[in-house]
Amino acid sequence: MSPNIPAVEVTGLRKRFGTTTALAGLDLQVEQGTVAGFLGPNGSGKSTTIRILLGLLRADGGSATLLGGVPWRDAVELHRRIAYVPGDVSLWPNLTGGQAIDILARLRGGVDTAQRDELLARFELDPSKKARSYSKGNRQKVALVAGLASSAELLILDEPTSGLDPLMEQVFTDCIREVKGQGRSVLLSSHIFAEVEKLCDTVTIIRDGRTVEAGRLDELRHLHRTTVSVTLDREATVLAGVPGINDLAADGNRATFTVGEEALGGVLAAIAAYAPRTLVSSPPSLEELFLRHYGAAGAPAAAGKGSGTGTTAAQTAGAR
Amino acid sequence: MSIAAPRLHVAAAPAAMSTLAGFGLSVRFILRRNWLRLVIWAAVLAMMIPIVYTSQQATFPTQAARDAYANVANTPAIAAMTGLPYAAGSLGGILVIKIWMTLAVALGFASIFLVTRNGRADEEAGRTELLRGSALGRHAFSLANYTVAGSLSVVTGLLISLLALSDKLPAAGSWVLGGSVAGVGLAFVGVSALCGQLASTSRGANSLGVAVLAVFYLIRAVADVDAHDTNVTALSWFSPIGWGQNMRSYAQDTWWPFLALLALAAAACILALRIETRRDLGMGLLPARPGPARATAFLASPLGLSLRLQRATLISWLFGAIVAGLFFGSVAKAMTSVLDPSNTVAKAFLGGSHDMLNGILGTFVLFTGMLAGAFALQSLSGARAEESGGRLESQLAGSLARTRWLGAHIAVAAAGSALMLLLGGWLTGVSSNGAASGSAMAWAAFAYWPAVLLMMGAMLFLHGFLPRQSVSLSWAIYGVSVVVAMFGPLFSLSESAIKATPFGAVPRMPAVDFSLPPVLVLTAIAVGLGALGVWRFRTRDIIPE
Repeated sequence: MSPNIPAVEVTGLRKRFGTTTALAGLDLQVEQGTVAGFLGPNGSGKSTTIRILLGLLRADGGSATLLGGVPWRDAVELHRRIAYVPGDVSLWPNLTGGQAIDILARLRGGVDTAQRDELLARFELDPSKKARSYSKGNRQKVALVAGLASSAELLILDEPTSGLDPLMEQVFTDCIREVKGQGRSVLLSSHIFAEVEKLCDTVTIIRDGRTVEAGRLDELRHLHRTTVSVTLDREATVLAGVPGINDLAADGNRATFTVGEEALGGVLAAIAAYAPRTLVSSPPSLEELFLRHYGAAGAPAAAGKGSGTGTTAAQTAGAR
Repeated sequence: MSIAAPRLHVAAAPAAMSTLAGFGLSVRFILRRNWLRLVIWAAVLAMMIPIVYTSQQATFPTQAARDAYANVANTPAIAAMTGLPYAAGSLGGILVIKIWMTLAVALGFASIFLVTRNGRADEEAGRTELLRGSALGRHAFSLANYTVAGSLSVVTGLLISLLALSDKLPAAGSWVLGGSVAGVGLAFVGVSALCGQLASTSRGANSLGVAVLAVFYLIRAVADVDAHDTNVTALSWFSPIGWGQNMRSYAQDTWWPFLALLALAAAACILALRIETRRDLGMGLLPARPGPARATAFLASPLGLSLRLQRATLISWLFGAIVAGLFFGSVAKAMTSVLDPSNTVAKAFLGGSHDMLNGILGTFVLFTGMLAGAFALQSLSGARAEESGGRLESQLAGSLARTRWLGAHIAVAAAGSALMLLLGGWLTGVSSNGAASGSAMAWAAFAYWPAVLLMMGAMLFLHGFLPRQSVSLSWAIYGVSVVVAMFGPLFSLSESAIKATPFGAVPRMPAVDFSLPPVLVLTAIAVGLGALGVWRFRTRDIIPE
């Protein structure tokens, strides 16, 4: 397939259930060979979008293409080339996990036995147990093994790590990196910011069935203000008059504020005059980007930029 | 009727340590989820009394007519199916012959389904865990479940008694009539309480309960056929349905078997609660064993998976068809020596056949057809269960066409029902000791396949257009079809009206000659409805619950 066809292209997607509007003009793009994060609060339409991409639901308007095909029309052909992992895995209670893996994998065209066994070992899953006795995490592992034991061009993962312990989350992260290394594409719907920041090239944030933010993660960071903490040789209130400084919180000689990319140079020059002893600059975390849209609609800045921001920024900086 | 939504957090802290804390709340919660179901069951069952009474009063208007009936009523066929006639000379006794067994067995079914629905099904779905996580005593919810299911029996019994009284039937007998039906219902509340503890799935619990009911029905059938005059054999006491019969309303009016039924219900419920104490939530008594780590290529195909999921259903219904076929054949043999072909009353019962034996065989074949229809619906409803359970989405996310997936479920239901008909019919013939040949009876039974297909067509149509209601509506259609085909004359329905229903339309061989048109019409309607349903399923959204 030609490399300029996106793995997923969704524009203006609309879907209603009775009187409820689930999607109201959603846009989403996944380029080939990239990992795309898909973020949004509960009920914002992530799973509905994914179900439309799988041809399980029919869109009311807008367009969606998957690997160049139409999901509803070409479902059977397209599904040979994709793998899907739901967030809430239902299995046949009286079949074993191993049987479920084989059934799901063979429905896609075949199972790579060596890969399957390797994944079973990595995820530490006993395939001879009846699905009835599996915990949520183990049911999730069944779907992950079935989905990953394939050479699918596109992986569609709907909160795939819900219920997994941190060690298994790490195994999952490694697996997705390998998938990406093989030039395959991934659409990853997730609530775990660290996971998305580690894995994703692009991010789409949706709310109430609309896309509110989309782009490369590093570009998105540029669009938003950097948080800066400084310690000066005098009362930090002197910074109040500096142009470009926002959300200033001064405490004695210390101050935390935010500054836009374009004003950073001028602000640093102004600070230099006050002999700063420490200076920590943190780019906005994904969590902040998300909370800006997720939080109360009326007060995005207050929710995302209050005094609590310092901790999240520090955590993000520490993680890097 | 409306009950306020109960709050699910239990505030009564002092009682929280008790195993019954939150009992009242649970009762209100179960009533709220089931009130419509309960009202319909109670109303439909109780209304049978005035309807059947009126029709029997018209059929036997004088004491002379009833006396004539009493002389011929005690045939093995009637004894086997509806119980030993012991007071056929009175209107009350005739009412018992015509409707008691239907009421008692139906209430047994209702009790089994209700207890499973609110018991094992909830536990399987994880809802019980959610409730038990709050300050709810270990036994509160189960006991509330048994109480609500038991109250259906009590209310239905009371309504039956009151409606019988309002028809001016003898008071003592009317109370015993209601009490005997209620007692059997209560006994099956106990039976299904136990089944819900032993099986680990709702389907397993329902199947086990229905199997126990079938065994008890057969035990009393054998006892009633073997009876001398109006005295039952001791075997009758090995079935709680027999206990209810032996209360003999409108004759001896015995109350003590009612106490035995109550004791059985109480003992079974107490045992069920004991088991509940000993086992883990979500598990049955039988320990889980490891299974194969790999799926065979056949299991991984849509047909193989559908067949595997229906395996237990298929085996148990085939077993049922075998037992029924053997039973029908052997009972038919018993009749050949007893029946008097000039008996006009028996003639009416058997649908106007000139040959009594063939009439009886025709009725048995109808029963086989109904069994196959019930299997087909239960099997096909597995398709909707896959969708509502969320497992269909994972399958369709693979390279699987919707029609192919649905086709596998249709194939299992259609082929399984055909096998049931052929096997059941053949065994009826083979075991009839020369009354009919195996091949003739297999063919007679197979003539009901189009009616079974029509049931499936209706379910497929509903599955396409009204997926959420499809299963219950399909069973409602089946229920009406069965009642009309079996009891149409009892409700004074005309023959042409009965012939316009699925099971009534099929030529009732060997009593009636085969004719092609009704079978073709049934098949055409079945295919039409099914095709519409499949078309709609291809174009609609997948709707999990």
